[in-house]
Amino acid sequence: MNEQIDHAIKGVRGYWFVDGFTEIATGGLFVVLALAALLSGSSAPSTLPAWFLSAAGVISLVKLIGILAAVLLLWWLKDHFTYPRTGFVKGTRLSGSQILTILRNVIFFLLLPIVGLLAASLLVASVGPVVATMPVWFPVGLGLVWAVLFVLAGEWLGLQRFRLIGIMSLLAGAAVGLWQLAIGLPVFPAKMPLEISQPVVLESIHRVLTSLSFLVLFTGLVLIVSGVLTFLHYWKENPTPYGEQV
Amino acid sequence: MSTAVQNIISLDRVIHEPARLILMALLSSVASADFLFLLKQSELTKGNLSVQLSRLEEAGYIEIEKTFRGKIPHTEYRLTKKGQLAFEQYRKSLGSLFK
Repeated sequence: MNEQIDHAIKGVRGYWFVDGFTEIATGGLFVVLALAALLSGSSAPSTLPAWFLSAAGVISLVKLIGILAAVLLLWWLKDHFTYPRTGFVKGTRLSGSQILTILRNVIFFLLLPIVGLLAASLLVASVGPVVATMPVWFPVGLGLVWAVLFVLAGEWLGLQRFRLIGIMSLLAGAAVGLWQLAIGLPVFPAKMPLEISQPVVLESIHRVLTSLSFLVLFTGLVLIVSGVLTFLHYWKENPTPYGEQV
Repeated sequence: MSTAVQNIISLDRVIHEPARLILMALLSSVASADFLFLLKQSELTKGNLSVQLSRLEEAGYIEIEKTFRGKIPHTEYRLTKKGQLAFEQYRKSLGSLFK
């Protein structure tokens, strides 16, 4: 009986994703972000700090406006489409201690391994060569992290399709990493002359941004497709608002 | 009397009824929900849902808030503190029965 109660609770948790709008909005935001990053990466100023500030500025602005627009659009769509068909629900607010626990876990499980790996790499090589391998490893790592997050979220929300999205992210990360490998970028830090280290760092950061942008773009498209399919299914099941049904 | 027997006897009968149990489970995972949401999720009839919600309200397990969404009247249901504690206790008792 407790399993059936858990199943019902999972169904309620996943209600926010029942119409596909959240995936479409998130996917759209990912696509816009990826395109902004690709565009800002292609018009690179000559010095690293100037380029970094320019790219970070553009991406932060797009992120800020994009998130705000996506949230407002979602509210409007839910209010006018979803709630009249399948009802209104207000989610539980997270307490301060719950937010702290989530933050602690995110830091522990996501950041520490990355920092640990970077620190370990720095012990065996200097910064330049390590950075040179990042275009290969970063998308693989991010694809893996997203895959784990999607699978865990799918488990918690009772949404099977999130597993598939997770697998697609993992494959996309691996594909982008292989693509960077195929164009001749190193997989392992190797010794290189100091005089070419600075251009290598700049070029490597460019390539990291480019490869991550393609991963974000692909994941965004996957989310949009998933959202549209979910929306079509929801619409078929609930063609008219409840009050207008005969 | 054995603990298992005591657990069966002490099960909250207000919650134990299947229709009310599903409503308590639904409301336990949200801050509040409206009638339509509960109707769709529980798959009860309108009349049965109204009766069960009234029964839960009489027991002090849920509270009803009447608001407006725009110009349309809107009724939201939420678990009270007493309801939350009763549901947690019910699940514990239920879990211990099958250990």
